[in-house]
Amino acid sequence: MFCIVAFIILAIFGIFSAGSRELAREAWGCVFRRVTFRPCTTGFDEKIKSRILGSVINRSETAARLLNRNFELIAWAMFLIVTASSVYAVRGLYLFYVTGSCSGLNETSFCLLDPSGENSTVSAVDAGCREKPTTVEDLTLKEADLRSFPTIKGKGEGSIVVIGCYGCAYTRRVYHSLKELAERNGASFTFIDYPVKVKTNLMTRLGYCVYRQDPSRYWKLNETLFTAQLPTLDTLEGARATTAKLGLDWGEISRCLDAPATRDAVDSQAEEALKTNFFGTPTVFINGKAFVGPKPDRVYAIALKGLAYWLK
Amino acid sequence: MDLEAIRQDFPMLQAKRDRRPVVYLDNACQTLRPAKVIEVMDRYYQETSACGGRSMHRLANEVASQCEAARETVARFLNASRKEEIVFTRNTTEGINLVANSLPLGKGDVVLIGDKEHNSNLLPWQMLAKRRGIEIRIARSRDDNTFDLDRFSSYLDDRVKLVALGLCSNLDGVAIPAAEIIRKARANGSLVLLDAAQAAPHQRLDVKALDVDFLSFSGHKVLGPSGTGVLYGKYRHLEEMQPFMVGGGTVSSSSYDGCEFLPPPEKFEAGLADYAGIIGLGAAIDYLEKIGFKNIQRQDLLLNSHLTAGLEGLKRFRILGPADPEKRGGILSLAVEGIDPHRIALMLDQMADVMVRSGQHCVHSWFNAHGLPGSLRASVYFYNTVEETGIFLDALRKIDRVL
Repeated sequence: MFCIVAFIILAIFGIFSAGSRELAREAWGCVFRRVTFRPCTTGFDEKIKSRILGSVINRSETAARLLNRNFELIAWAMFLIVTASSVYAVRGLYLFYVTGSCSGLNETSFCLLDPSGENSTVSAVDAGCREKPTTVEDLTLKEADLRSFPTIKGKGEGSIVVIGCYGCAYTRRVYHSLKELAERNGASFTFIDYPVKVKTNLMTRLGYCVYRQDPSRYWKLNETLFTAQLPTLDTLEGARATTAKLGLDWGEISRCLDAPATRDAVDSQAEEALKTNFFGTPTVFINGKAFVGPKPDRVYAIALKGLAYWLK
Repeated sequence: MDLEAIRQDFPMLQAKRDRRPVVYLDNACQTLRPAKVIEVMDRYYQETSACGGRSMHRLANEVASQCEAARETVARFLNASRKEEIVFTRNTTEGINLVANSLPLGKGDVVLIGDKEHNSNLLPWQMLAKRRGIEIRIARSRDDNTFDLDRFSSYLDDRVKLVALGLCSNLDGVAIPAAEIIRKARANGSLVLLDAAQAAPHQRLDVKALDVDFLSFSGHKVLGPSGTGVLYGKYRHLEEMQPFMVGGGTVSSSSYDGCEFLPPPEKFEAGLADYAGIIGLGAAIDYLEKIGFKNIQRQDLLLNSHLTAGLEGLKRFRILGPADPEKRGGILSLAVEGIDPHRIALMLDQMADVMVRSGQHCVHSWFNAHGLPGSLRASVYFYNTVEETGIFLDALRKIDRVL
């Protein structure tokens, strides 16, 4: 039993130390004999036991005596701990691969592979917008009417709905890859602009007006806005320049921007967005499943196409 | 003997990076090397690395002259009649194999050995028994592991062509009464070969006084480099013997049909020699002679007495061989009840940086015959201190309390 525990531990240490690699090789020899129902004749377990006892005895003879008497028992306990830790570690790796967090989708507990927790961080919605705060469990598309939001209809199956804002760094990080993912796979793509971080109400109205005038130019507008410098993002000059760049009539757009109906429509869209119970951007729904925060691209791809997404 | 000054000569005994030096008590396996030995070997590689005795240039001549000087040193060390009686080998084992394979021993001839022989002085004869049909007789020791001269004498008859014995046992440090043994063997008309691997570091060897025919020892046990050794043989025997290994350096000339061997010792030294090793061996023996065997034996006794006395109360440890430390040279070999000696050796290393040998010490035959798995062997040399033996004993007592 001790050989197995030692092999696992030394194999891990072996990544960093040549000495441990050599010991791991010896441990493997012992493990191999054990699993082929032969006694371990390498003396490995005795060697390691002696080394451990030799170290402990100088600190405490009582501890060394206890260790010596209960070595097999301790080895079993170690085996169970190592096995449990290994399972937990493998589970963590798997979860990180498919959800971007070691503990599971949208979990914010510490993850060694994402120590800053950025994969689950959002630009938070002002708490004043809601009567009570919402959580991951509350996220849903069922209550929201998405028909008024800009959407690219896909030729295939699947849908991606992104709630984000032009001025939010986390949305900016994932917007392009999500749109590309949808395009590549023929999934429908809906973008809901909800300004939370930087005040971009003008751009929200601009988006609404451009989409009404020419849906195809709306997506070009988004491309521009998601790459624009933040200080000039929500200015009238910026809106005018962007409109010109898109080849649209500024006069018409300007009238639309100032129209009370536009304000009402945008407010109505914001209310509709809040019905998803999202609490920060980006919040992405892929086939109805919610992903909070900027996940790695593979997480979105797996959600849309399955675990072996690169094969499909 | 200024022990502190002597210890300064050994790089391995110097503290490194605020860490105390190891407590080296494995001298029966090999001794440490003084800086002088390392220096002369280093100088060979740095300044005169060339083929001694073959090429004609000055570097080769210098190497040849240094090697011959080393041969003279060894001859003086053994009190040999002439330096040509000294054959350089790789170690004691090679020396014994050389004798085994070069003497004209045949079917029915008997080789008489002891029951505590190192594999080096057992296996060559077993091979000869298989190949040529010689017979091996084994003279058993007394119960306290000392040599039983009467039993030995009872084995002598006219078929005994060779008596091959370890002069000092690496198992327990017990030395044999070589002079009496040789006298009896000589009276029987038998040749005598002494395995002096363990004896050479601890006692003055005088091959002329002993009148021994062959004697072999290793460089690594007398402060010299590993991979060096010496076979002493009476010149007339060496002249008559056929070489065991042949090749470059052993002949004066060769044709497609045969060759003309050089006289001893060259005809036994086939292939390019370990020049640096031979020069180092010469320096080691010079150093050893400066220390003096009286000092060495005094220190052996002091340390082994301390070790022996310190074992009192440790019931699980039993001394192999006589209780009197004076009869065990520099060796304390312990049979351990209920604990694998390897385990204790590993723990001593880990907990106190004490280096000792464990196992059957290449004397499997004796341990197997006595049903013992092995022993824990501490072996001291003149550079060891009472403080070091104390560290060993303290650690051993701790282990005894815990295991």
